[in-house]
Amino acid sequence: MKNIFFLLFAVLLAGCEYEISPWQTDAHCPGVSVEENLAKLAAFEQSIGKVDFYQVAIIGDPQQYPGSFENTIEHVNTLDDVHFVLLVGDLAETGIKAEFEWMCKAMSKSNKPIISVIGNHDSLSFGKDIWLDVFGPYDFAFTYQDSRFVAYNDNKYEFDNVPDRDWLAEQAAPVDGQEWDHVIGVSHIPPWEADVGFDTHLKDSGYELTLHGHESSFDYWQWEDDLLPHYITTQNRDPGFGILSVYPGVLELDDCSRDCEKTIPRTVPKPKSLLLLVEEEEQD
Amino acid sequence: MTIQRIAILLLLTFGQVQGANAVFMDLQSGSLMGMVHASVGGTFADNHHVSAGVGYVPKLDNHEEMSMVSLRYRYQNPYQFNFSVKDRDFGISPVNFGMAVLVGSHKDLFVELPDKYPSGYYNPTAIRLIFNYQSILHLSEKTEVYFDISVLDVGLISYVREPEFFMDNYDYLGLEGITNWGFGMRHQF
Repeated sequence: MKNIFFLLFAVLLAGCEYEISPWQTDAHCPGVSVEENLAKLAAFEQSIGKVDFYQVAIIGDPQQYPGSFENTIEHVNTLDDVHFVLLVGDLAETGIKAEFEWMCKAMSKSNKPIISVIGNHDSLSFGKDIWLDVFGPYDFAFTYQDSRFVAYNDNKYEFDNVPDRDWLAEQAAPVDGQEWDHVIGVSHIPPWEADVGFDTHLKDSGYELTLHGHESSFDYWQWEDDLLPHYITTQNRDPGFGILSVYPGVLELDDCSRDCEKTIPRTVPKPKSLLLLVEEEEQD
Repeated sequence: MTIQRIAILLLLTFGQVQGANAVFMDLQSGSLMGMVHASVGGTFADNHHVSAGVGYVPKLDNHEEMSMVSLRYRYQNPYQFNFSVKDRDFGISPVNFGMAVLVGSHKDLFVELPDKYPSGYYNPTAIRLIFNYQSILHLSEKTEVYFDISVLDVGLISYVREPEFFMDNYDYLGLEGITNWGFGMRHQF
């Protein structure tokens, strides 16, 4: 009995960490930062040169299911046309260090760059600090194969003054007169009904599509007044993700589990109350 | 913050201690309970221990300054083996399990959902359940030190839900991914 106890105790102690509280912020997450993954993507782009077709995997809301997330990543690893992964937020459920570390462990299995955007659940507790330390900025933009991807923080309950409309317009604008093949917005939450005029602002700024998570099921819709399409990927479950196919002048979307099927956009009216608000604003 | 409710809870616990077989004071560090966590409790029906405590973490590079309160239960199995070192007797109690409700106090945590959120939008971020195992070394009849190994609520849930993930990625049957350790000292009065 003594020997069994000492063996059990030694094994458990050797495997543990000294943690002061559940709310520590020093998450151990090597290799997942936006900066490192954009550098990997740039190196990959340089190695393949200009292509006419590529795909992007869109994974969202893996919170509390690191095993399913790992399975999805390993499945996406087998898809040769996928050049990178957009992870559209909610890696954590309650914003604590341990939750991020489990997801980082799953992300370490990817053979493709993973570009991460903060979600509302990631911002809970001290998740904002962990995010800045591990992943980097909340807002950032990058160019891949002459298309512009603009990732932005729109977690309105957790942050003040988001999304930053002026910054979003600046990032979508042509540089040195060169037009982008596509301008694609990426955030956790689809445009909020209460964010009057935001959708139109994106459309007028040149965005042709936005990608999101948060809603826990596949969806693809556009408000009938501006027709800017919004694609929402499902919560990640073994596996569940979206695929964006990018061609010159054309974007296509698929909902995927093991197999994928084309998505069809729904055109939906804005809520009446919101339309009234818009009209009132225009009258003012 | 519902500090008042927590204070009432603590007072009730202290009140119950009067009916206990023994009263003890506990000082712990780590294992998710704070840099230092002081508790007062009582022993009931020999093997059952209930305590209430207050913890503290100073401002650190990896932690905000924070206080916390707890309510804890521990089952201590009567099995104990004894040994002597230089004519001094010691005992080890190897089988002790417990759980704690830990409530953190900080402006970025909440017990009650702040008004800005719709009803039911989040569960409380300040309240955590911690499950623990202790190995106790009895230094004398009244004083003991212990190692504490703990698992956070979300760790236990994730491990039960997806054990393969933890077993594949962490050592010691995957427990490396969810366990933490600390140590402490108890004195009975």
